[in-house]
Amino acid sequence: MTDAALALHINGQSRRFASVPDAERLLDTLRWRAGLKGTKEGCRTGDCGACTVLVGGEPTLSCLLLSREVGDEPVTTIEGVAAVPIGQAVIKAFAEAGAVQCGYCTPGFVVALAAQLGRSKSPPDVESLVDGLEGNLCRCTGYRAIERAVALARKAVQ
Amino acid sequence: MMRSDAEPKARGALEYGTDLEAPGMLWAALVRSPVAHGRIVHMDLAGARKMPGVVAVVGPDDLRTLLPKAALEVERPVFPLQEIRYRGEPVAAVAAETLAQARRAAAAVAVEVESLRVDARIEDIFPEWPSAAAADDPHVVGHVHARHGDVDGKFRTAELVHSETYRTSGVHQVALEPHACLGEIRDGTFCIRTSTQTPFGLREDVASVLGIPEAKLLVEGSWVGGGFGGKGSAFIEPYALLLAVASGRPVKLALTYAEEFELGRTTLPAVIRLDTAVARGRIVARRVRLLLDTGASLPGRDFAVGYSIGFLLGPYRTEAYDIEGYALRTNKPPFGPHRAPFAPQSVFALESHIDGLARRLGADPIEFRKIHAWRENDRTAYDQPVGPFGLEAGLEAAARTAAVWRTGIPAGHGIGVACGFWSTGVGAGGEARLFLQPDGLVILEGEREIGNGSVVRGLSVVAQRVLGLPANAIRIQYGDTATAPFDSGVYGSRTLAALGQAVEKAARALEKTLATRVGAPQVRLETKNGQVLVVSGRRRQKLVDLLTPAERAAGGLEAHGKHYGAEKKVDASRVLEGTVYPYNDFAASVHLVEVAVDRETGHIGIVRYAAFQDVGTAVDRPAVEAQVEGGVVMGLGTALSEEMMWTPDGRLLNPGLLDYRLPRIRDAPPIHVDLIEGFAGAGPFGAKGIGEPPIIPVPAAVANAVADATGTRVFELPLTPERVARALKLL
Repeated sequence: MTDAALALHINGQSRRFASVPDAERLLDTLRWRAGLKGTKEGCRTGDCGACTVLVGGEPTLSCLLLSREVGDEPVTTIEGVAAVPIGQAVIKAFAEAGAVQCGYCTPGFVVALAAQLGRSKSPPDVESLVDGLEGNLCRCTGYRAIERAVALARKAVQ
Repeated sequence: MMRSDAEPKARGALEYGTDLEAPGMLWAALVRSPVAHGRIVHMDLAGARKMPGVVAVVGPDDLRTLLPKAALEVERPVFPLQEIRYRGEPVAAVAAETLAQARRAAAAVAVEVESLRVDARIEDIFPEWPSAAAADDPHVVGHVHARHGDVDGKFRTAELVHSETYRTSGVHQVALEPHACLGEIRDGTFCIRTSTQTPFGLREDVASVLGIPEAKLLVEGSWVGGGFGGKGSAFIEPYALLLAVASGRPVKLALTYAEEFELGRTTLPAVIRLDTAVARGRIVARRVRLLLDTGASLPGRDFAVGYSIGFLLGPYRTEAYDIEGYALRTNKPPFGPHRAPFAPQSVFALESHIDGLARRLGADPIEFRKIHAWRENDRTAYDQPVGPFGLEAGLEAAARTAAVWRTGIPAGHGIGVACGFWSTGVGAGGEARLFLQPDGLVILEGEREIGNGSVVRGLSVVAQRVLGLPANAIRIQYGDTATAPFDSGVYGSRTLAALGQAVEKAARALEKTLATRVGAPQVRLETKNGQVLVVSGRRRQKLVDLLTPAERAAGGLEAHGKHYGAEKKVDASRVLEGTVYPYNDFAASVHLVEVAVDRETGHIGIVRYAAFQDVGTAVDRPAVEAQVEGGVVMGLGTALSEEMMWTPDGRLLNPGLLDYRLPRIRDAPPIHVDLIEGFAGAGPFGAKGIGEPPIIPVPAAVANAVADATGTRVFELPLTPERVARALKLL
């Protein structure tokens, strides 16, 4: 195992980290080296979606990706998503729809939904947007409020 | 009105237990037992101590040196000194510079164990239904027996006796945030920051486990990524503090999901036998027998059985009953609370049984329940007054909806109904400190919002209703156990219902003080340009002008409120063995569900759902509806897919979310929420607690809908496709 330096593009910035173990996951690099703890650590087995970030614009489970595998692809975390209009619209929709309870799953949902809404000029219909959230678990809301947030967010970015 | 924590949570800006960090912090890992039952013959920690990055390793022997007064033989020993009681039980702990180093060192510890006979399941202990002599069995750690009326006589003369046996499974809370805490010693004080539902309960509990005075322990809550009962008493905190003592540095401990499942204090399996005697179309006597797996609990811990068993009698008038329950020690982690502990399981058995009985009698299931349903002036099986109770109203509303659903229902679909009741607003009590400042109101709290909104919204709304302030002028300030007023914690559907009463009293005290000062019978508050105004009739005065010099110096006017519930009593003459526990404020739930059963695979599809919930008064309607939706979907997990599976040697087969399946977004059906108001609870403005009731009837309602669709009953939870297919003789 080697602990070499690692460079990543995170939220539009170039970040360089000294001595990153080869086996380190992107989730841990983001949270404990880059200090971006908005990305939440849940199951670490790819089943809950709480750690969802964008890699090259695509929703990605950061617990299943080694930091060294990221390469030159840009990484966008919830902090980055929250800084752009689509992300802000999604966050507002979640808050207004009552889709945030404990909030632990919420950043993952926000990132996954914002990515879908940002893909094309006209957003997909609500049903396909909801399908795109099948990989995100929520234990508090029973999902109905999240579906209402999806509709609100879609309307806001149209 | 939007919750003040919603937006910061959604952009990932709040700090949960998993996010905690301190300068110079070490990471901890647990060394866990490889067997479910055994004695430690030898454990070599010296090797781990020499590994890279390792700063401290603590095991049973170190416990005696580091904390001579630590409780060594209580239900939750920090480390087992002799007997390992479940697989994965922590036997030592490591702190290292990085998490990877800590895990590597923990994995390198060789634990030599002499294996003992494993009792992993109820069936291992009682392959046959136990005889009366079972109370002497060493596995019986709790025995409760209560009786009332001429049970034998009524069974002898009954026209019909309906007898069934039900089985329920182990289910895990799965709060999305795993348990995580940070322990450190600051100036001789043990400090623990942790994701907890009960900071004050945790202080008492951790102090007793570690053998330190409560005054030497400070608990500070982080934001909580879901609790559901799983983040209460001392669990991982003692390990972090012990390592902090040994290393002299702050220590972070977070569980992996595998550890969550293998160490978690969860609902464990049960076997429930129900016999019901009927005369003239009515229930005249009941016999209830409960075998409850309580895991690695020690003798005398019969709370689980004594509290749960009452739910097996249901919210129904019972002339004569004989109920008996056994808590059984098995080689699993100790039984722990999970949103309405054991009630969904009890109600699955009881409401399936009642439903089947109604069908057998040719009665309408809803009408049959209505005949027996508690009314306000009834008394419970243990002779407590029922009080205002919305069950009959709920059943009537459900009957109307069911009639609509029945028209044009496709073949293969079925409609099921189930009732539940819960005792809300429990706990010793709580206190509130309100601080009215010239620019707004501060509510000081020791416990964090755990997600349901009961703190961040519920307590604010109570103050708002009393004082009239706008929501954006009210702020919750979170303190630690040294600075914040005491409260029992966020559990038991009690935060708004019980602690809310303390907030209400404090707010009324503020109002009274201000009314006296302005010489009016009453006042209310509003804000203008960021200033609090005191309004009496047509007069508006700035709060700041009404404060004394001392109050102005202190920054505002302070008021305190306390609420400690009156002790409730049961009729002890009905209790022959053990203890049954009194209930508090009753809330009724009636659920209705339409399912589609696949006749080839046994898969159950949830078509639509309606929940009729007795809430007393909905103090914050959107938050109350959100609890119902969340409770229903969590209950669908218990009903359909969630099941912890153990091998005969005590290994958990599915310690992760791939094989322990939670409902996903596409599993959530349309849910009609109907709040039943007008049956006032003891909470502020007549509120009853809402956190737990909505999960209770779900598994039973689904099972009854499956019986309606297929004519076949499933007697075991969860109703997986395999179980349904077997019941339908497809397999």
